[in-house]
This record gives sequence, structure tokens and C-alpha cells, in this order.
Amino acid sequence: MPNGLTVILHEDHTSPLVVVDLWYHVGSKDEDPGRTGFAHLFEHLMFMGSKNAPYPSFDAVMEMWGGHNNGTTSNDRTNYYEVGPKNLLETFLWLEADRMATLAEVITDDELNRQRKVVQNERRQSYENRPYGRAELVIPEVMYPAQHPYHWPTIGSHEDLEAASVADVQAFFERFYRPSNASLVIGGDFDPKAARAMVDRYFGWQDNRPVPRRATAAPAVLAENHAVTETDRVQLPRLRLCWHSPALYAPGDADLDMAAHILGGGKSSRLYKTLVFDRRLAQDAFAYQGSQMLGSLFQIGVTAKPGLTLDDMQRAVDEELDRLVSHGPTAEELERARNSHLADFFKGLDHLQTRADLLNHYEHLLGDPGACQQDIGRYEAATVASVRDALAKVAAGRRLDLRVLPGAAGGDLPEDDQAGAS
Amino acid sequence: MVTPTQMQAPPAVGPLPPLRTPVLETFALSNGLQVVVIPRHAAPIVSLTLMFRAGSDAEAPGLTGLASLTAEMLDEGAGDRSALDLAADLEQLGADLWLGAGRDGSQLNLQVPRKGFEPTLAIAADVLLRPRLGAADWERVQHDRLTALGQRRDQPEAVANIVADRVLYSDNHPYGQSSEGRESTVQRITLDDIARFHAAHWRCNQASLIVAGDVDPVALPAQLERAFGAWTGGPIPALALAGGARQPPRLVLVDRPDAPQSVIRLVAPGQPRLSPDRTALRMVNAILGGSFTSRLNFNLREQKGYTYGASSGFNFMRHAGAFSARASVFTDVTAASVTEFLNELRGIGERPITADELIKARATLLGRAAEALSTTGGLAATFGEISLYDLPLDEPGRFVAQMDQQDAASLQALAARHIDADRMGIVIVGNRSAIEPGLRALGLPAPELRDADGDPL
Repeated sequence: MPNGLTVILHEDHTSPLVVVDLWYHVGSKDEDPGRTGFAHLFEHLMFMGSKNAPYPSFDAVMEMWGGHNNGTTSNDRTNYYEVGPKNLLETFLWLEADRMATLAEVITDDELNRQRKVVQNERRQSYENRPYGRAELVIPEVMYPAQHPYHWPTIGSHEDLEAASVADVQAFFERFYRPSNASLVIGGDFDPKAARAMVDRYFGWQDNRPVPRRATAAPAVLAENHAVTETDRVQLPRLRLCWHSPALYAPGDADLDMAAHILGGGKSSRLYKTLVFDRRLAQDAFAYQGSQMLGSLFQIGVTAKPGLTLDDMQRAVDEELDRLVSHGPTAEELERARNSHLADFFKGLDHLQTRADLLNHYEHLLGDPGACQQDIGRYEAATVASVRDALAKVAAGRRLDLRVLPGAAGGDLPEDDQAGAS
Repeated sequence: MVTPTQMQAPPAVGPLPPLRTPVLETFALSNGLQVVVIPRHAAPIVSLTLMFRAGSDAEAPGLTGLASLTAEMLDEGAGDRSALDLAADLEQLGADLWLGAGRDGSQLNLQVPRKGFEPTLAIAADVLLRPRLGAADWERVQHDRLTALGQRRDQPEAVANIVADRVLYSDNHPYGQSSEGRESTVQRITLDDIARFHAAHWRCNQASLIVAGDVDPVALPAQLERAFGAWTGGPIPALALAGGARQPPRLVLVDRPDAPQSVIRLVAPGQPRLSPDRTALRMVNAILGGSFTSRLNFNLREQKGYTYGASSGFNFMRHAGAFSARASVFTDVTAASVTEFLNELRGIGERPITADELIKARATLLGRAAEALSTTGGLAATFGEISLYDLPLDEPGRFVAQMDQQDAASLQALAARHIDADRMGIVIVGNRSAIEPGLRALGLPAPELRDADGDPL
């Protein structure tokens, strides 16, 4: 649109449902140190009402007509969506447009105070009072230097959440929540001509303000290997290994998805076979390429069987890793990993909202909502050699060995808790 | 284009589309296995669910965990394939196979791209008819389960659920135990028990087969006949269940020293699956704690900021049901949260249900039903549940019609009858020394103390 809003229409008349999926190109990477957790806090504040739909209209209107809505926030982006019967399309667009235009005008201290408490409860429920959850807060701190946009977790620190003022919130809103920084997908059972007219009507009058500066960062590297030990309220020790790896869609990213699958993707994977099945050292084993815009983390995790130590585990994991780095996967392993990945991809496409979200994902990451074939092509192009090379390059880098041992978990993790990083 | 002042008026909302129920076909294989086919061609995938009528409700009291372990053992090697070969072959086909057991039933779920459907069917037939049940595999599965049961004590939400079930159902009732079992019973289970459970319950005359998605309805009967035609039925074992839900103790605490949150459950006996009040009670619950804008979530999360989410629900099971309300809250507002829970539970029978709440409950449940019917996995799950409880295949439409017959006054009366705040059992997993004084100050009796497995201390 002339004001910079990207609009993507996707018709599907198999069910009388519509999805409105709005991505703002702002995530926790766009926050400032000392002001963390804002993008996610917005997910909560955005449902506290806007000028013409005061609290609690958003959720109330939604449920009054059989729809539902939510949001998700990552390091890289924020996603707001509504799902419901097709007659709700115009209401969805009106609500999203009104809050894009007016949220900052109406946000109050009282609303901020209540939602910051909700978020602090979310942090406790998801991380601090959940087994092994604290590791997720420690990993970004150790892996990324203090000024890197991924140094802090998306949920933010209790300290920064406490410090957030209405003025901070308004400034953050003015900076990022504008048409030029958003893309809107309408999916489902609608008439595209009518939908275009609705989008014009509700979003077209909004100002064309420049695209905010996007966060950038040089690829992160670890200056040395780190060995960190944490305690948590758990029965069994768990080892987490983390390496820096290529960013989402960078060369090697898809190969590392395949490598992770071959190492730790379920029962037929190497770590499962060796550690869980044959040697009975581990209760579970997993590996994944955590792909993100400014750089990824390749991770392996294993949980020890009762009575066994992480030293046994670490040796066995390193042996498996060395073997895969040295010899590469078999052609059959690669084909299985590829088939499994692509099958999961197609299974996801059965779900309208997943599909709508994928269109925004491609738009956000690749500037082209139709980049599906390009994405699939990366997996089709992966070879035994490319997977081996990508893994060899990552494994040759310095890494974090994080050990979570049974013990007391302590209270809230403060922002400056360096978790004993060596 | 509108101007900012014109944004003030919300757009008109047209009429809600009626629930679009799927066109389906039913037939039986030559051995009598009942099949429901729901074609859907939006994505090139097929979802298959085989639902068996026996779950952990069919376990002998000392063998808790047997139904779920039986399900888990079936794909640990079957036919010509070892456990790892079987996993690798499924992965090659892009197939997800899941076997498990809940309280009232066991099931096999499969989701696979269309082109891998037929070879995957052959593997599923091996799993169902020719499981290896090997001693080494069993020893590993049993040991993994024992370890997982230990790890469950790390999870405060899981502990709260286990303890709530223990206090709500009599000791010899299967609903009082989690279907994963407990260490003492899992240690006792043998491979013979597994083989016997499989032989008694995983029979074609105790199963229903639901196939949803991108199938060719003309070719399907022959494909299914090839895979499952040799399967035989057997006598249907009678279940004699002793006892049922009981009035739980008023306050039960599980100490979790230094926990930053308290996990709260309020529990009471509910209604069985075939209760005539089920539809109305689901509407009552949508208003009380079954949606984001429900009274409980609005109060405890949105008004007070005590929690990330508060909810409630009826669990309608075959032999008995349960009601529960739940939240994880800041430790220092544990007692205040219990007060709010009790106020809302009292209020649902006393504070008039508004016309808006009634409309909202209906629309919310209708919207969920429509979404469940909009994916192949959702179709298989919806009709799997329908077959598990022997309900008519037009159950989704009947449910909507039943909702239309409810009014606020009858829902209110029903709520007053079924939700009694003064008889709820209150189970809390949290930092005992920090929360007990506040709970006593509410007038709650001295707590019964339990360990993480629900055993009295």
C-alpha cells in the first residue's frame, strides 16, 4: 500500500473460516539493553484496548462471535493473529487497524502494571519453575556478548519489566508499530475484492512513516570454550552443547537442519540409537539448528540416566559427533531426514493459520511471500558432502558446554547473572 | 478509505456461518471392522486413527500403566522390522506414527503424505497384528518409563494433576492413577501382561477406524482390506470398576521449597461422558473458566495479574467425571488467589449469567468445533472421540442444536447444582512455609500433606 503496509491475500474456501495474521518486524533484537522484554510485553499490552475498542473489547468481541486471537514474539519478529468465522473478517481488520493507529494514546499505568505482572508470571511458569527452564535464560547470555541483540531472552528480565514506564512503552510503540514495518496476511474464505476494499478502508488512511532501522549484528563468535554449571530442581543431570551457526537461510542453515535430524531427530537418529537404545546412558537425546535472522545456535542436549554422570554422556556425544563430521551421513540417512522434514512441512500446510503465518515468514525473511519453493529447494539440494561440511565447520568452532545438575534453583535470575561463565 | 473519526464505529458483523459438517462415508471390512472415511483434499496428507475402547480403565489395580505400556511396545519392532528399522522406515515415508492409551481408550494415530499412505498401512498392520514384543525391547521401555516417572516429580504442574486425581478418586479406581502408571506398578508389569492386554483389547471388534484427508474413497476399501482383513475379533471383556469420584479433602499441600509460584487445583466430582447435562455444562464452563474472557481468567489474570492464566474444565469420562479449576500464581498471592477462585466458583451459581455471556459461550464453542473440522488431524480426532463413546456421527451438529436450547436461567441453575465452592478439594504445589499461614487465615483447615506421587506423608 502507499503507506508501506505489505498485504498478502490467500484464498481457501474449504472451511468458512478466515485468518488475519499481522507481523510487525520487531522482536527482542530491536530492544535496548536495560529495556528488554518490550516486544513481548507489547503482545500483552496490545490486547488491553485501543482508542475505539477500549479494554477488554478486543478479546470480548472476538469470543462474542466465535473467533480467537493471540500473539507470539521471538527475537526477530512479533506476530498477531485472529482466527474465526468468515463474517468476522472486517471486525478483525478494524481491530488491528485501530490498535496500530491508536494504542499509544490510550495505554495507562494501570494496564501496564497488570500486564507486567502477568508477564512475570509467564517468566516463572515457563522458565524459573519449570525443570531445565533456566538453561534457556542462561544460554543467550553466555553465547552472545552484552551488546548483541540476542544477548537477552525475549521474555526480558524482571528488573527491566519492573522499570518499564508508560513513556517507554509509548516510545517503543511509535518506533516500531507502523504500516511500513508490518505485513498483513488475510487467509481463508473471503472475496479478495471485498478484502482489498476493507484493507484500504481501515489501513489506507494511516500515515506513511519511514521504515525503522533494522537491528544488525556482526556474526557472533565465542572467544573461548565455555563450561558453565547450573543447578535446577531436577532429578537428572542434563548436558547442553551450543555452537554458533549460520543464520536462517544463509548457506549451511538447511544442511544443519539435516545434520541435527540425523544426530538427534527421534528414534532412528544416531544419538538416540547409541545413547538411549544401545548403551542406555541417556534418557533422551535431541539436536536442533535454532535458526534466526542474525545468527543461529546449533544445539545438542542429552539427559543422563539415573546414577550416570555427564562425563560418560559427553564422551559418547563427542564420539558420535566426530564420526558424523569425519564420515558424513549415509545417503539413506540424508534421504530419511529430507523426507521427514518435507513431510512435516506439508502436514503443517493443512492448517490455515500455519499457512498464513508461513506467507508472512517468507515475506519477513526473504521479501517474497511465495518463497516456498526456494525454501524447499534448499533441502532438496542438500548432499552428503554439504551436510558433512556444514557440520564440520560448526563443530570446529568454540562451544558452550552447559551442565544442569540437580540442586536448588534459587530465585529469579537477575539480568546480570553471568551464571558462572568461565 | 475512512478518516480517523470514522474508525469509531465498529463494522457490522454479518450472520455466523452454520457449522459445516463433513460429508463422510462408512463401511465395514469383511472382518467387521467399522470404518469412517472423511475425504479432504486441501493438503496431500492422510490422517488415520484407530480407536480402541479399552484404556487404563481396563487395567487390574496393581498393573497401572499397562495400557499405555502395551501401546508403546507395539512399535518396538513388528513383523520383519526391529524397533529401529521400523522407525527408520516410517521416517523414510514421512510418516508420523503414535500409539498411546488414555483413561477410556487406546489409540493408534498416523499421519502421512498421500504417496506414502499404502506402504505405511502395511507397517501399521504389522504393528497392530504382528508386534514382536521382544524381551530386550521391553526391558528398555520399562526402564525408560521408570525413569520418566521419576522425572515427573520435577514438574509442578504434572505433580498437581497427579495429586488431584489421587485425592478425588478412591484408591482402587483407575481414574485415581495416571495412565502412565507409577514406579511400583510398572516394576511389576511383565511382558506376559503386555501380550495378554494386547490379545484381549487390540481386536478388530473393539476398534473403530477413521481415515481423513487426501484419500481415494474408491480405492480405500481394498487398501484397508489388504492391510487389516486378516485381523480377528475376540470376546469383549467386561469392566467392573469399583468406586468412583469421592469428596476430596479440603486442603492438600505438596511442599516445593523455594518455588517461585504455587500451582493450584480445585477439584470435585463431575459428570460422566454420557451425562444429559454435558452440553449445558460445557457452556457453563465456557463462561466460568473455559475461554480467555471467562470469569476466572478475567479476574485472576487480567484484573489482578496473579497468574499467566486461570481456567477450569469438566472432564467427562466414561465411568465418572471430574471438575477442576487451575492456575499457577505468584507465591505471595496464593491465599488471595484461592479466595478469588472460591468467589468465582460461588458466583457462577449466584451472579446472573448475562445475555452476552450466553451468546459468547455458544459462539466460542461453535468456533472451536468449526476449527476442529477444518484440518485432517482435527477431523480424525473429532470422529475418533465420537467412535470411542459410540456417539452418532452427526454429534457435532447435535451439539450445536443442543446449545441453541439453553437459556441463561437453566445454565445458572445447572451451575448451582454442579459446582459447589464449599466442597472443592484444594490442591497446591508450592513453597509450604510461605503459603500455609495465609491459607489458614482464610479459614481453611490444616492441610493434608502429600508427596509428589500423591502419597500421604
